[in-house]
Amino acid sequence: MEVRAFSKSYDQNPVLRFPAFSFEKGAVYAVIGANGSGKSTFARVLAGALFCDQKSSPLPAGCKVGYMPQKSYGFRMSVEKNILLGGKDRQRARQMMEGLAITHLAERRADRLSGGETARMALVRTLMKPYDLVLLDEPTAAMDIASAALAENCILDYRRETGGVMVIVTHSLKQARRLGDQVLFFHQGNLLEWGPSAQVLEQPEQEETRRFLEFYGA
Amino acid sequence: MKGNKDMQTAIQKAIALIVSGDRELCNILLVTAKMSLSSSFFALCIGVPVGIWLGSGRFPGRGVLVVLNRTLMGMPPVVCGLLFYMLFSGVGPFRKLHLLFTVTIMILAQLCLITPLVIGNMETYVSGIAGSVRETAMGLGLGPVKTFFLLANESLYQIFSVYLLAFARAIAEVGAVSMVGGAIAWKTNVMTTAIMQYTNRGNFSLGIALGMILMTVSLCVNIVITLLQRRFR
Repeated sequence: MEVRAFSKSYDQNPVLRFPAFSFEKGAVYAVIGANGSGKSTFARVLAGALFCDQKSSPLPAGCKVGYMPQKSYGFRMSVEKNILLGGKDRQRARQMMEGLAITHLAERRADRLSGGETARMALVRTLMKPYDLVLLDEPTAAMDIASAALAENCILDYRRETGGVMVIVTHSLKQARRLGDQVLFFHQGNLLEWGPSAQVLEQPEQEETRRFLEFYGA
Repeated sequence: MKGNKDMQTAIQKAIALIVSGDRELCNILLVTAKMSLSSSFFALCIGVPVGIWLGSGRFPGRGVLVVLNRTLMGMPPVVCGLLFYMLFSGVGPFRKLHLLFTVTIMILAQLCLITPLVIGNMETYVSGIAGSVRETAMGLGLGPVKTFFLLANESLYQIFSVYLLAFARAIAEVGAVSMVGGAIAWKTNVMTTAIMQYTNRGNFSLGIALGMILMTVSLCVNIVITLLQRRFR
């Protein structure tokens, strides 16, 4: 999947510059970088939630995109109804709810869940149907360790089933290693380094990447 | 002492009027109910979708529309009444409709006063949640119509609150309805205009009776809407 080069500025201050890039089908891309490095802006532009400076989507025409925003939102209806907004297959919904241990929450109002429960529901909702590109912005940030492990299994199952491109923004380098085939490192609004996970996380070429990894204890 | 006794007598007479079901009083109540329920309902029908659209939309000129609406929110009722009087009077462009001094034009004038309030309140509320709702809906591949209904569903509690505001404004309003309705007995006289009339004539008992009913109706509507709000919270 070819992504055109794009940039994003706020009040003429550039916050993101992304070069033309080719996503490999079926691969998982872990996006890492410090706060304010442009990771979420990158995800939001690809999702269509933000206009880039070029005013047109950098993705190929007709590309179906699924996106889980950084702040999960539970609509004022039951968890099950929320999940069915993502896709109509009730059996799949039940399976995925089991996978993320939220079956007991099915009838609960989604706007009254805890942050971690909302994130689990939002992940199931996003992965209800196949997309060409799935963007998950810090999907496990609000979850406890056990729920995050279930979420990671769920993400890997989805990848096996659908074979689309997955982009996961994360602050956890361990998660980037576990989930990502490739790692994209953002620094001050630029894609500074990218490549296979093992290479970027263990033998980074750029000094900034090395410093970041040392600081975050990779 | 005498003032207190007069007041006591007026209240006693007022209660007697209410209990006996005085015909004039009943007529005033019916006209008031027709006018305030109709105008608040239509204001809600127009204002809620427009408010959601304005609160969640991203289009050029949105800021101008918001400022314009906020200006209309502060429109004095007498100015609104004057405007409608000029439009529908014998020299106005809509004179052939013969709507002046009818309940219909009173509803229209109130609609003009109340709708900006509904739009403004909905816009303020929706703009606070629109970003999250829109982004989530977009991430699920939902279209603008579905997103609109999701926003409406998220705003249900607010819609009840806005209705309360609209109804309260409609039932308590006097400036515009007296100008375009003329406060004609048995035809366009509503509670507020009647209270003014009867007080001016020195008929305090009917004025007090109407005042008591006005407050009671307002209390009842508030209770019903509050109960509905709790149910749909």
